Amino acid sequence: MARFYLEKGKVAAFIAHLQSQKTVYAPHRKGRNAFAFAPVERPEDVVLDYPRTVSSIKKYFLPAREELLSFNLVENTCAQPAVAPLDAVFLGVHSYDVHAVLKLDHNFVAGNPERNYLTRRQGALIVGVGFTPDRFHFSGSVGIPAGDTTGCDLFLHPCEGGYALEALTPGGEGLLAGFPLPAHAAGLPAAAPFHQHIYVPQAKLKDVLAHGYDSEVWEEEAEKCTSCGTCNLVCPTCYCFDVEDAVDITVTRGSRERHWDGCLLRSFTEVAGGEVFREEPADRQRHRVFRKFKYISDETGEPWCVGCGRCTASCTAGISIVSIVNRLVNDYDAVKA
Amino acid sequence: MTKRELITPAATKDLYLPVMAEITDVRQMTPLEKLFEIRLPGGADLGHRPGQFVEVSLFGVGEAPISISSSPTKKGAFDLGIRKVGMLTEMIHRMQPGERVGIRGPFGSGFDMAKFKGKDVLVVAGGIGLVPLRSLINYVLDNRADFGRLVICYGSKSDTELLFEDERRLWERDPRVEFHLTVDHGSPAWQGRTGVITTLIPGLDLDLPNTVACVCGPPIMYRFVLLALKSKRLPEENIYMSLERRMKCGVGKCGHCQINGSYVCQDGPVYHYPDIKALREAL
Ligand code: SF4
Ligand code: SF4
Repeated sequence: MARFYLEKGKVAAFIAHLQSQKTVYAPHRKGRNAFAFAPVERPEDVVLDYPRTVSSIKKYFLPAREELLSFNLVENTCAQPAVAPLDAVFLGVHSYDVHAVLKLDHNFVAGNPERNYLTRRQGALIVGVGFTPDRFHFSGSVGIPAGDTTGCDLFLHPCEGGYALEALTPGGEGLLAGFPLPAHAAGLPAAAPFHQHIYVPQAKLKDVLAHGYDSEVWEEEAEKCTSCGTCNLVCPTCYCFDVEDAVDITVTRGSRERHWDGCLLRSFTEVAGGEVFREEPADRQRHRVFRKFKYISDETGEPWCVGCGRCTASCTAGISIVSIVNRLVNDYDAVKA
Repeated sequence: MTKRELITPAATKDLYLPVMAEITDVRQMTPLEKLFEIRLPGGADLGHRPGQFVEVSLFGVGEAPISISSSPTKKGAFDLGIRKVGMLTEMIHRMQPGERVGIRGPFGSGFDMAKFKGKDVLVVAGGIGLVPLRSLINYVLDNRADFGRLVICYGSKSDTELLFEDERRLWERDPRVEFHLTVDHGSPAWQGRTGVITTLIPGLDLDLPNTVACVCGPPIMYRFVLLALKSKRLPEENIYMSLERRMKCGVGKCGHCQINGSYVCQDGPVYHYPDIKALREAL
């Protein structure tokens, strides 16, 4: 499909054009150095050149908290609240976060397809944007170059003076109707290089992980881990949740809510009676890394980590998933060499 | 990652919506365990297999996975054996016939009884492991001609915690059942056998190639029972076990019940031993 030139000076007008059609969610500055997706009120507040947002756009499809059922405690009945479809454009999404949404699509369609997720997801259009990798990004190592357009309806490739705007789907083209832009004839600038790498071809990861089950790295890293669960909360492909009932103060109504949960928390595997099935922090660290690189990956043939670097950037204990995986690679190579 | 076709929301099921079902009978089994009989609206069939579970909910309190304790051959209602271990089960214990609970399910794999046809069935139940296995035992008894011998090994911590008193007495007397019972610590009044459950296994006279073992009990039990069955030379592919984990959603989403990469609520709780022996977190 076609490619257009969107000069910097026209970006705000372009955002306003999107706003005239749908709700637009885009990155905004939050505090000094943090960024977050939020509904756009003023186009000039949108930041398209940012390192990473605190949470990915996952929060719009799988909210951090959501009501699954509402109760009438007097009648002892329950109902499912209607979920509103999102008629929205997600603007300025990095390639790894788009891939993360595609992975969540897999998780929420495979097996038992989930209505709440799919209702929110189905109407969403995505406008991707290129980025300059910082010291935490490593999506290039998991098969996602910074300019990868998979899953996007439009894509903004940063170029001299603005963006090369690529239309990728009919939905994306539709968004451009009524906003005339000149064609972009020049080639695309090469995507910026990554500074973090997992040093192993994807095909070999399966063996590396299988070999790494008993690695000392789990104990060593777990020693630093405080089991705070932040790495789970910020991860765009984590989707585990817990469910709890709440009763309102009149004790006549209540709701069943789900909220994000994390496998690094000790309570995650606790059953009634107190048994905890992954008792040691090392067991839980291994589970997280295996969830990202082995279990689902063995089935689908691709890593379930998208290399956003959030878990490493936000871990107060300084635990790096890249170091863990590279350590497993080294151990494997040392034995197989 | 290639983009996949999304299913339209209209084509999805009500994954999290319980059906309201009536408690029709409550029996105290031990100070901690009660047996509840539950009837779905209109006496509808639950349509379960032995070894499956349901999610039971009380609105405003929560939801918990509970093994189904009756055989699918029982019609019009099903049984749940519930131990009082937390807030939710404590509240359920206070409920009376006529009151209603929410039910989702049945969930999980269960025992594939068609595969066991013509085989001798060895049941190894530790403690409340008998609750799900009672479903299988009664299934075999109700389809007696389809199976070979029925050998039950039941171990309990003490004689005061023994479950299903009435049925146990029937099994003890039933010539179609070989029933073995032991308790870890007997009360002064206890006249039966004392010793852990594994002590029952060496003495069994089994037609090994034709025997399937169905095992369920507390987490620590599995390793020892496996050792006992292996030293008996029961082939590994004849062993099935039901494992407990923290199952929350029941539909393979919430992540709590995972054993390595396997969702217990989907692939289990009943596993064929060869399928899980490589899963390090399983046993
Ligand atoms: S963020 Fe770091 S300290 Fe917290 S649970 Fe994850 S690895 Fe452990
Ligand atoms: S595991 Fe870490 S780097 Fe990988 S997708 Fe999750 S947060 Fe990003």
